Amino acid sequence: MQKFFARNFAGYAFLTPWLIGFFLLSIGPILASFYLGFTKYNVVRPPQWIGLDNYAYMLQFDQRFWKALQVTFTFVVVSVPLKLIFALGVAMALDKGIRAIGWYRALFYLPSILGGSIAVAILWRQLFNYDGVINSALSLIGIDGPYWLSDPKFSLWTLVVLAVWQFGSPMLIFLAGLRAIPQELYEAAEIDAASPSKKFFAITVPLLAPVIFFNLVLQMIEAFKSFSGAFIISGGTGAPLDSLLFFTVYLYNEAFSFLRMGYASALAWVLLLIIALFTAIAFWTSKYWVHYENERG
Amino acid sequence: MSRLSRRTFLGASGSVLALAAMGRPAFAQSADIRHFWWGNPERDKRTLAVIDIFNGKNPSIKVSGETLGFADYFTKLTTQIAGGNMPDVIQQGYGVLFEYIANGAVVPLDEFVGKSLDISKIDQSAIDAGTVDGKFYALSIGANSHMAVYNTRLFEEAGIKVGEDFDPYGYTYDQLAEIAAEVKKATGVPGTDDNTADYQNFSDFTVQKGANLYNEDSSYGPTQEIVEEYFATWEKIRNAGGTPAGAESAGLSGVSDLAAQGVVTGKSAMTYLWSNQLVGIQGLMQDALGCAMYPNTAEMRPGSVVQPSQFVCLTRDSKNPEAATAYMSAFVNDLDMTKILGLERGIPSQSDVRAALQPQLSEVEARSVEFFDKIQGKTAALTAPPPSGSGEVEQTFERLAVGVLLGERSISEVASDFVSQAQAILRRA
Repeated sequence: MQKFFARNFAGYAFLTPWLIGFFLLSIGPILASFYLGFTKYNVVRPPQWIGLDNYAYMLQFDQRFWKALQVTFTFVVVSVPLKLIFALGVAMALDKGIRAIGWYRALFYLPSILGGSIAVAILWRQLFNYDGVINSALSLIGIDGPYWLSDPKFSLWTLVVLAVWQFGSPMLIFLAGLRAIPQELYEAAEIDAASPSKKFFAITVPLLAPVIFFNLVLQMIEAFKSFSGAFIISGGTGAPLDSLLFFTVYLYNEAFSFLRMGYASALAWVLLLIIALFTAIAFWTSKYWVHYENERG
Repeated sequence: MSRLSRRTFLGASGSVLALAAMGRPAFAQSADIRHFWWGNPERDKRTLAVIDIFNGKNPSIKVSGETLGFADYFTKLTTQIAGGNMPDVIQQGYGVLFEYIANGAVVPLDEFVGKSLDISKIDQSAIDAGTVDGKFYALSIGANSHMAVYNTRLFEEAGIKVGEDFDPYGYTYDQLAEIAAEVKKATGVPGTDDNTADYQNFSDFTVQKGANLYNEDSSYGPTQEIVEEYFATWEKIRNAGGTPAGAESAGLSGVSDLAAQGVVTGKSAMTYLWSNQLVGIQGLMQDALGCAMYPNTAEMRPGSVVQPSQFVCLTRDSKNPEAATAYMSAFVNDLDMTKILGLERGIPSQSDVRAALQPQLSEVEARSVEFFDKIQGKTAALTAPPPSGSGEVEQTFERLAVGVLLGERSISEVASDFVSQAQAILRRA
């Protein structure tokens, strides 16, 4: 026991601020929301126990619940791979010894810092407005751009682009991973006259697999929870035609627009279960494609 | 719901600064009263000035103001109800007030009447509008009605003579289709907003068709035929060529931010709002706005109502109801204060306040008084307040109607879908 503390003290010391926040601010509401998920609660009147009714209604009658799942899954399935590919591409480009590399890294990381902010979402709306910057640029080459935000055929894709643009944090992690790959392997491959793509798929990808896996899990969770962009661009409602009805936006709507806190709590737990399930699936599949260097066999 | 705009954001942060600048050392015995309202930059400026006057006159009470855009106001209020820290005095609208009363978040004022609260000069109709089951709950701060505003310069350029070609107090949807197309042809600006996905216009149309929005038993009033006819009416106007593109209008559905409205952005020559918003929206543009009622069908049955635009109410969380009601009383009665508030929240419900405002009305305020004179006898009777779930019905209408605007679904499909969803929402609420 003493040994354990001696060994891990520094780690826990660094975790303390987060732990204090978790126990003081997060755990209470999390448990409360689990209870509220079984009640009808409109905030003004005390909650009223209704058992599994919320969950039953969700699965049987709630069309918007299924629509929200569809929108969220589409977003996750499209935006996460694109973002990772893009981040890896930029990381490989930056892995070369170019001058002022530090500046480039900071510059590419910037969108991630701003990423979740309301300001960027509002900026995005201005860019993709019908008379915004994107369409002005398109008109220069004679293209009459569409209504990116109010046409349900396009609206979700503007948010995918926004997500991909925030490639900074996976990029930094990829960069660190690339640095850890022993140069000898590439040198040996060159002596054997391996093509660049051969080097990429036979050396970079397998050795980077743990880092790719880490980024995949993190970005997937992030994408499931994505909120502010869709909230701002859709005016808080998931418009047009529910094409931006992210699960989180729907949850917010039920809770704060329609005062169904009990139902919204149930929705929140469903989202938690979905994220847990997909993370578990990712871990399970990782046995087949992720190998750690210190593993035996 | 409306969208968060840069303008409301700046407005809100501006008011925070103004509040900070106004802070002064509080007296030890002073009662702290919080007043919370949804606003726009113009309203915030006026209300904060009024609070300043009240604090100057009443050293034992210290009122502080809090403001947000309409979109976020009720969200914040909800979290405050849950936390048991609602402000003492809150602004309420005719739509949701009754839900707050039913749930006990807003408390009766009867025990303060004649003491800290003076209602002797308020119109009986305004008192009635704030009374539920014999108890008086809400002080009306102004009367309101649906108003269409049109850009007079664009109408002139199109050669439309108000009074001859266009009667602002009695024009039909068919006439609107012609006028809008003419404006578009002459100026390049579409003559009117497309209200296909505008619930306010739809509620007007329903009454024009002889139905009520909600039946006595809280079921939904409009039939599928009425909804279809409404969509078809606007489709005709759209096909005549006088409206912005469907996708453009779709983007504006449910947006209450004044700065985003068609007449302000220059994307249309006519926009549909509440009459008290005239002062606010005229403040955002150069061209003079003319006032009109909403369009009507050929039968000319009244569809708009006159109703209290907003109320001030006392919440159950107030620790100092005497001081809070004294402030509410001054807010509607004190002539120095009502003079600054003007008509920005609607036409005041006290005859002496109206009389005092008369000589100092700004030109735009005079226009809204004139509008109220002209609509006398052309409005419908006030119906029962909307039941729980009505806010969701409104959002559902706006969401589904966008499908019509974009041409994604047929009118009859959307109409039947909407009516069945509306009934389901009201049953569940």
